[in-house]
Amino acid sequence: MQNDNRLIQQLQQKDERALSLLYDKYAGAIYSVILKMIRDEGKAQNLLQDTFMTVWEKAESYDASKGRFYTWVYRIAKNKVLNVLRKTDPLIQTDDFSVYNQKEDAISIDTEYLELNGAVTKLEAHHKQAIELVYFKGMTHREAHEVMDVPLGTFKSYVRQALKQLRDSYAKMLSLLLLILNAL
Amino acid sequence: MDKKTILENGLLEQYLLGELNAKEREQIEQALASDTELKVHFDQLEQDFETLGLENAITPPPFIKSQLLKNIKPSSVAPKVVEMQPNKTKFYFGIAASIAAFLLVSSFWLYNELNTTKQQLQTVETNNTELNSTIESLNQKLNANQYLYAAIVHPDTEQYILKGNALMPEGKVVSYVNHSTKSVVINTERLPQLDAEHDYQMWADIEGEMINMGVISKDTNLMAMNYIDHAESLNITIEPAGGNDHPTVERLVTNVYLK
Repeated sequence: MQNDNRLIQQLQQKDERALSLLYDKYAGAIYSVILKMIRDEGKAQNLLQDTFMTVWEKAESYDASKGRFYTWVYRIAKNKVLNVLRKTDPLIQTDDFSVYNQKEDAISIDTEYLELNGAVTKLEAHHKQAIELVYFKGMTHREAHEVMDVPLGTFKSYVRQALKQLRDSYAKMLSLLLLILNAL
Repeated sequence: MDKKTILENGLLEQYLLGELNAKEREQIEQALASDTELKVHFDQLEQDFETLGLENAITPPPFIKSQLLKNIKPSSVAPKVVEMQPNKTKFYFGIAASIAAFLLVSSFWLYNELNTTKQQLQTVETNNTELNSTIESLNQKLNANQYLYAAIVHPDTEQYILKGNALMPEGKVVSYVNHSTKSVVINTERLPQLDAEHDYQMWADIEGEMINMGVISKDTNLMAMNYIDHAESLNITIEPAGGNDHPTVERLVTNVYLK
């Protein structure tokens, strides 16, 4: 990801090619998060485009010393989705509860999009769910611990443990990869 | 905020996920900037979240990207450049094409001109050669005529008329003899024409011996003959074409005695 630095610099200088390359690299991951949060393909597509528009327009405000580019984009996407969800929520809650229920039931989205892949699937169910809630559903820790019906502290340790296991599994993957590369 | 609190409360995760308020964010950022170990931990966390994200990537439909790239154009300076480039290119291409067309036409024209000029030059060269040879022949004629004229008008020149005898009753030759310059010039204007196989030849008689003075040319009316010392008479005979070593006396057509 070191070679991103150059692309990001070019992006900050309004280089369309840099945007195109960074989009190719990260749009899939971001799209997945947006889909899982909003559960609507059409809206997800608009939000994805909107996210990268903001990336383009606000590129100068990204500060590499404060974190990774992907984290920055993730936060932009998440905020955009949450804004849409918040706008919708009061309407549903004040006017018509049935719409909310209907909406939950009548989600026009391929369930495949909601499934998780990779190392996270190998985690224990509660670890996996903790990650899913905070990372893919965009819930805060406070919201998520209520959904899981465990104390906040417990939830936090779930997240921590889950991340530790992911860490181990990625490290293994990395060393395996290095092993294969060395063997080649 | 100390490292232990941050780690135990899962604040790095929440910071990363964008859950914290501005004040908390600032505290975490300060802590990260001052604590290298914490920063390393955070970097690791970020990397893991990124890997998690990439592992779960879902390829978006391609039209989103094309829309995105289309939409960013009006809002930035870059598109102006991008938009102008084709125009510029077209403009330059237009110029290049015009130049190429002009060069093509002008080189065709030049090629034609070159060919015409070559032809003209050839004509001029031919004409020049012709003129040169004409001048040369004129010069020769002039020289000859000047010589003949000089010989004829010389004060010491004497004129002798050779009248035709019975073989040539109509013909005559006028001769101009100059003993001081030792020249003989004859006017053959009145000599009847001969066929191609015969020529008139002139002889000088010295004590009964006929000495060749030359064959009379059919092409000219005035010509110089060889001057023979002590000639007593001038004689003209008809001889085979090209002349004879000895005169055919039977065919003597005229003669004159020199005084």
